[in-house]
Amino acid sequence: MSALEVTFVTSGRTVWSGQAAQVVVPAADGSMGILPQMQPTLAVLGDGQVRIIDADGSVAERTVHGGFVSVDSDRVTIGVDDAELLESDH
Amino acid sequence: MGAQQREYKKRIKSAQGMKKIFKAQEMIAATRIAKAHARVLATTPYADAISQAIGAVAMHSTDFAHPFLEQDRAQTGRVAILLITSDRGMAGSYSPNAIREAEELGNSLRDEGKTVDMYIVGRKGDSYYRFRNRPSVKTWTPYKEEELALLGHEIAETLTEVLLSEDPAVHVDELYLVGTRFKSRFQQFARVSRLVPMGIVEAEDGGEKPTFPLYEFTPDAESVMGELIPRYVESRIVNTLMQSIASEHASRQRAMQTATDNAQTQIDKFTRLANTARQAEITQEITEIVGGADALSGSGRTER
Repeated sequence: MSALEVTFVTSGRTVWSGQAAQVVVPAADGSMGILPQMQPTLAVLGDGQVRIIDADGSVAERTVHGGFVSVDSDRVTIGVDDAELLESDH
Repeated sequence: MGAQQREYKKRIKSAQGMKKIFKAQEMIAATRIAKAHARVLATTPYADAISQAIGAVAMHSTDFAHPFLEQDRAQTGRVAILLITSDRGMAGSYSPNAIREAEELGNSLRDEGKTVDMYIVGRKGDSYYRFRNRPSVKTWTPYKEEELALLGHEIAETLTEVLLSEDPAVHVDELYLVGTRFKSRFQQFARVSRLVPMGIVEAEDGGEKPTFPLYEFTPDAESVMGELIPRYVESRIVNTLMQSIASEHASRQRAMQTATDNAQTQIDKFTRLANTARQAEITQEITEIVGGADALSGSGRTER
């Protein structure tokens, strides 16, 4: 199975980039899961958690408030104003 | 010590003092370029992502309208120019170049019969226009280098407000950005770009136009666009601000390097002159002594 090429950026820095098996983002009208081979999509994000799940099952989680995500031939770009680590990650 | 020598010594001292100042300024600028450049690079992925997304939406969906995309926005004939200059001098031609670009743009816009509103970042631009009695609409000065993102946000908010305003006394039709592009430590260019109305696909640097896949929009193209466009405007402004700051430091470093070299040339020159003056004085003294001795021996007196 192919993997997703994920770039997660805020206006000031790159938060996370690399390969992932699955990405879950809080789209404006509900949570949206992204898997490889998904159709090209541009979505507005609401408030919630962005979850990036690695091939070996490890999860990176960030809280975001608004932003956008674009998916195009397995390249996922998440752009947000600011991303905070979840409390539980510390 | 003769008066001439003293004068040269004084000049050497002052050139040495100035050289120290220039050298310090140069080193400060040199360390700041690296930081400023890193900040530019840090904002680039986001700016790229957003430009690409905008291009994609604009290319495929023509069934929506956004006030920033309308090509004909002429309502009041008023145009806004955001000019980015520095707060401090000693940066060579950095601020004057940006101001000149803005002036040229302003003149050509006025020739088209438009009214120009200036929005200025930096004290140099502000004082330029204040001195000529052409006050700007709004200025942001002094600004903090660490808070450029915040400043960019504030500027974007102000400009978006006037662009979208329905009030004919406030509304502006177009928005131009005059900043300095940081190409490398050695090359920076003052540059004008039009932000509103937006060109659909901006092929920067004359590169190939990117092609975009047919996107699915969530929830729909119009709200995606409504979300993206203000972000795009903000990210462009922030990016231009950061590039300008990096350019300012690069420009200052170069100017200060030249000034340091110049001060050294002055020191060398005055050292030579001081040496010559000293030598001349010594020679004169010897001549006087020899002359005196000769006169004495010529007079035929044997005792002193």
